[in-house]
Amino acid sequence: MRFWLLDAIRSYEPGVELTATKNVALTEEYLADHFPEFPVLPGVFMLEASTQAAAWLLRLSEDFAHSIICLKEAKNIKYVDFVPPGQTLTVTVSVVKQDERLATFTIEGQMGDRPTLSGRLVIERYNLADNDPAQRTTDEDLKNYFRRIAKLLLPRELALPIR
Amino acid sequence: MVTATKEEIFSKVQEALVDALGVEDEEVTPAATLQGDLDAESIDFLDIVFRLEKAFDIKIERGELFPEDILTSTEYVEEGRVNSAGIVKLRERMPFADLSKFERDPVVQKLGQQLTVQDMCNFVEHKLAAAA
Amino acid sequence: MRWFWLDRFTEFTSGTRATAVKGVALSEEHLHDHWPHYPVMPNTLIAEGMAQAGGLLVSEIYRFSELVVLAKFSKCVFHGLARPGDVLTYRAVVEQAKDAGASVTVTAHVGERPQAEAEIFFARLAADSVNRPEGMRLFDPNHLLHWLKLVGVFEIGTRPDGTRLRPEDYGFN
Repeated sequence: MRFWLLDAIRSYEPGVELTATKNVALTEEYLADHFPEFPVLPGVFMLEASTQAAAWLLRLSEDFAHSIICLKEAKNIKYVDFVPPGQTLTVTVSVVKQDERLATFTIEGQMGDRPTLSGRLVIERYNLADNDPAQRTTDEDLKNYFRRIAKLLLPRELALPIR
Repeated sequence: MVTATKEEIFSKVQEALVDALGVEDEEVTPAATLQGDLDAESIDFLDIVFRLEKAFDIKIERGELFPEDILTSTEYVEEGRVNSAGIVKLRERMPFADLSKFERDPVVQKLGQQLTVQDMCNFVEHKLAAAA
Repeated sequence: MRWFWLDRFTEFTSGTRATAVKGVALSEEHLHDHWPHYPVMPNTLIAEGMAQAGGLLVSEIYRFSELVVLAKFSKCVFHGLARPGDVLTYRAVVEQAKDAGASVTVTAHVGERPQAEAEIFFARLAADSVNRPEGMRLFDPNHLLHWLKLVGVFEIGTRPDGTRLRPEDYGFN
């Protein structure tokens, strides 16, 4: 499967918050295992969707300054409700604080107007060349890849300038 | 353990709440309400109970900290409000909590919303005294 | 993508602790999106591996017959990234267990290198729980037994006194 845990970015305010959606469909293979008698979006995929939303907010806010943006810490992640096939998970991530390396977010997941998850994430961001200058081209390849994907995720009215 | 001072109890309760709820030390004041100010949900209460048991070496039975059985009983609840027999029962079960505010408007949901960090410290103190 | 985030248990002591391994491989399709040019195992899937190791340990406490679901990560910290060729070792320890749920702590290492640690909470959804949809069950018992066998629970699993765990002790046949 593709590892895109968001279908669309709905809105964002640079440096502040981003809202995105993930549809759950029975075509997704892993739902056959999770669970055979009760297919629901795995809890860690709600977490991954939130992590990706936070990563997109950083990329869009900082003009793709970092190639590696990953989950450093998840705190008090609470699962309140299941998200079954046919439903849409909406995640909103909001910046609490950030420095050059780490950014802390609150996350909220909803299905319609019902809460599904809440918690806090710490996201780490850097470039491979920070430690190994020889990897600068890999950093560039990654950033170009994310610029391409951003065009697929952003609605037309939020589209980035073509470059 | 039974000789724990109020300060020691507060500091361990505070640590349990910080770890269970992901809040900051300074948010956990004696007057802070668990559900209102600290956003505790039902799954957190189990987490908090586990941490208190470990920190104080006590056993906390289901419904002891929060008497959900009374609050869902048709004998003690009428039209969403705890009746006078229920209030008597709550006082009996929760000698550690200050119920005076709740008694003035005993809407079931408000009991959880009014439970404070201080109530929780009193609960632990009560348990330790009972174990002594 | 299938949903098997540990390959095999290497230790499984009833009610106490378990150790499991997971090899990270470039043949896993999702690594080519996460990320192209620099494939790494998503940290959230390491969290899932830790939850599966801890979750099966907890399910055994409830005789593999109750609904046990992931309710909360109190804490989950990651150190760096796991890359293809790495072998993750998950070590789960039961902290506490009650009727309403259980907590575990789990660590993940690649060799000696710490990769992650987590405190995870599982809720046992009782038949009368408001959170439990009517008639809900996660697995047909045969599906669950199949999974337990795939990951070696009955090959390696013992009670604290050293006796082997057997499927028939849990009503599997």
